[in-house]
Amino acid sequence: MERNRLLPLVHMWAAFITFLPAVGLGVWQMLMRSSLPAPVDDPNVYYASVTAHGTIMAYVFPTLFAMGFGYAISNSARNGALAGKKIAWTGFFLLITGLIMAVIPIISGTSSVLYTFYPTLIGSPWYYLGVVMILLGSWFWIAVMVLNFRGWKRDNPGQTVPLSLFAITACALLWGWTTLGVTTEILFQILPVAFGWRHSIDAGLARTLFSLTLHAIVYFWLIPTYIAYYTLMPQAAGGRLYSDTMGRVAFILFLVFSMPVGLHHLFMDPEHGSGFKFVQSMLTFMVVLPTLLTVYTITASLEIAGRLRGGKGLLGWIKKLPWDEPMVLAVALSLLLLGPGGFGGIVNMSFAMNAMVHNTAWVTAHFHLIFGGAVVIVYFAIGYELWPRLTGRPLMSKKLACRQLWLWFWGILIVTVPWHIAGLMGQPRRYAIFDYSDPSVAKTAPLVNVSVVGGVILLISVILFFVVLIRTNLAQPAASMPPVRYSLAINPPRAAAPLLNGLGFWNAILFALLLISYGYPLGQFYFMHDTSSPGYSLTRELNK
Amino acid sequence: MNEEISQPIASRESRKPGFGNTWGLAVVCVLSAFVVIAFGVGFLILPATHQQRDQMSMHDNIQHALGHHVHDGMSTKNPAATSIPTYVVWDEATIHEALSGDPQRGEFIAMNCTACHGETGVAKQKWIPTLAGVNRIVLYKQLADFRSETRLSAPMSAIAQALTPQQAADVASYFASLTGGVETQAIHAPASGRTLRGTDPTLRLIYAGDPKRGLAGCATCHGPGAYRMGVPGLSGQNADYIEQQLHNFAQGSRRNDMNMPMRTVAGMLNAAEMHGLAQDFSAGQSLVK
Repeated sequence: MERNRLLPLVHMWAAFITFLPAVGLGVWQMLMRSSLPAPVDDPNVYYASVTAHGTIMAYVFPTLFAMGFGYAISNSARNGALAGKKIAWTGFFLLITGLIMAVIPIISGTSSVLYTFYPTLIGSPWYYLGVVMILLGSWFWIAVMVLNFRGWKRDNPGQTVPLSLFAITACALLWGWTTLGVTTEILFQILPVAFGWRHSIDAGLARTLFSLTLHAIVYFWLIPTYIAYYTLMPQAAGGRLYSDTMGRVAFILFLVFSMPVGLHHLFMDPEHGSGFKFVQSMLTFMVVLPTLLTVYTITASLEIAGRLRGGKGLLGWIKKLPWDEPMVLAVALSLLLLGPGGFGGIVNMSFAMNAMVHNTAWVTAHFHLIFGGAVVIVYFAIGYELWPRLTGRPLMSKKLACRQLWLWFWGILIVTVPWHIAGLMGQPRRYAIFDYSDPSVAKTAPLVNVSVVGGVILLISVILFFVVLIRTNLAQPAASMPPVRYSLAINPPRAAAPLLNGLGFWNAILFALLLISYGYPLGQFYFMHDTSSPGYSLTRELNK
Repeated sequence: MNEEISQPIASRESRKPGFGNTWGLAVVCVLSAFVVIAFGVGFLILPATHQQRDQMSMHDNIQHALGHHVHDGMSTKNPAATSIPTYVVWDEATIHEALSGDPQRGEFIAMNCTACHGETGVAKQKWIPTLAGVNRIVLYKQLADFRSETRLSAPMSAIAQALTPQQAADVASYFASLTGGVETQAIHAPASGRTLRGTDPTLRLIYAGDPKRGLAGCATCHGPGAYRMGVPGLSGQNADYIEQQLHNFAQGSRRNDMNMPMRTVAGMLNAAEMHGLAQDFSAGQSLVK
């Protein structure tokens, strides 16, 4: 059993405990959007619910999960001698305080600004302060990750940092860089208006700052999943990782290219010229590379495992893979979801095609398929992998866990495929109310109703997930429980290659790319005048 | 099986020299080339193709790519607007002025208003608006519009023209501070029936609007639930006044709404709907239950 198991265990429990109600809200929101009767069909409640769902799913659940996973990885890498535990706990309590601070104004209905804030909308200042505190708490985690990364290198001079530690540190650094955008937006654009110190907001500048966060945050969610692809799945499948180098290159590409691409969320915005939109569209294509590398490497790793287990022929190895292992099943299902999700993303980031899907339900369907599907399904499997190590009890049971993963897979497809189609038919996003008596809108009704069914399946699946965790927690402790073992590559790296063993150079490259791609788009606001608009307040009159 | 993989297999990869300075230089070169190509296409080649299509100069097209919107002097060809809805612009200076009122000085000025608008700002005649509790920025704008005669009313224009902007802000802040009139902080408890599934047609218009006509719900700007700058709360306002204003907007005899939301919306309402909305907003309580 692991030492220091409380830290990751508490973070993971907290993550999943926030996840459960957020899924429930999501199901009700889909019901509200459908043509079926919904309880409390009040648009203001819908927007409050979307705000709670988004805030938890974007800022709290994956952050707590990555933190817990990061502590588990660093702790294993350092043989149970995790440094900075006090800093870690401080961050955790700050984050939870922030969560409570953000949730109370959302429930009171004064902060229905959705998790992306949409200035000039103005909610309660306590909501924004809560979000800042959540981010502040997570920065303590970044410090602990860097501390342990450096500690490992100091303890093991000249050796190659384990891939899992390398990747989670890249993930933490990416989070540090990217949250600067949203924090700056809240502190310098939104809060002064929410407190009544200023009265107007530069929506263009605020949205540009948020775009620094808006895309990279997705890769921050994705990296823990990719870490499981590279370092947990090959072991669980009984094989080896095809290439350790490929993994390092993929995580470096994520760190470097996730941020100078955010303008592709603003293709339809008037505050930027077509030149920078095009440049960032090009840079966005670079983000496809690490995913393509990963799909190749992970498929190769699965094949290695299948062949080692006696699989023959072109595809015979697939049958030989241990499909009753939750981690192997989850990674395979995740790859299947990543395919259509990724191609949908290429549509969104293409300068011209974006115009067709912008502000339609296609976009929401896309990020639910990627995050809810490809990413979260592996979070479950990481939970199944870590729970026995953290609690010292055997998983109860693998069979139930696999059924839960299958339910989640089908649930996500049933939710998001009709949702994409509704978007292509022109259904707008961010709407609480659809007029299904209008024939042109009525065409989308069956699609949304199918999505509701998918949502219910997802809710059942996540309840099953809790059943497995709780049953595991209540089970008899196992006689012995080996610590987490991270997969080795067929060719473990021997010589420490400086560029693939440290992150300093890549942070410098990221900074240079940010200057090139965002310097002018952000700098122009200091030379523009009269670009602010008055805040638009919810539930209360500003300047009463 | 496991023995087979327990020993690392020697391969070309493990014999390769590590990524060193040469690789770092290569990364910088490749990335620089990529960035140069992206900028070349975004700021030269694409503007050049636009040049052929739009008959605009190359200089203007590059400016356009940077986000500077150049109109080739076309804007000067547009005739001057014949009808200005309002001269008020919501910039920081105007908002600051509207908020700088002193209610004590305003109370003195308000003695001129009591004959029509009531001693406590609650008008007895139902076709005259109640001012108690109305947001000070709203009152400031209406006085500014009366002063510039973009909102027409002979008595109100005369009164507003006699006030300086500072005095207008003072009297606005006095009426905003009074209670018992318009309610803008109404508690907004969640309730069913505020979507298109609702059965009460007026409540449905207030909260959900009518998408077939492109009508947004009144509550989107007037509350309860959301307030836009310069837009009055209506809960508890006099019914006849609301109904009259809807007719005025619909007919275009009142047109001081910035970006003409009210002329657009009121123009799509029928008389029975205007009456129902005026009655419901006036009663106030039924909106929030």
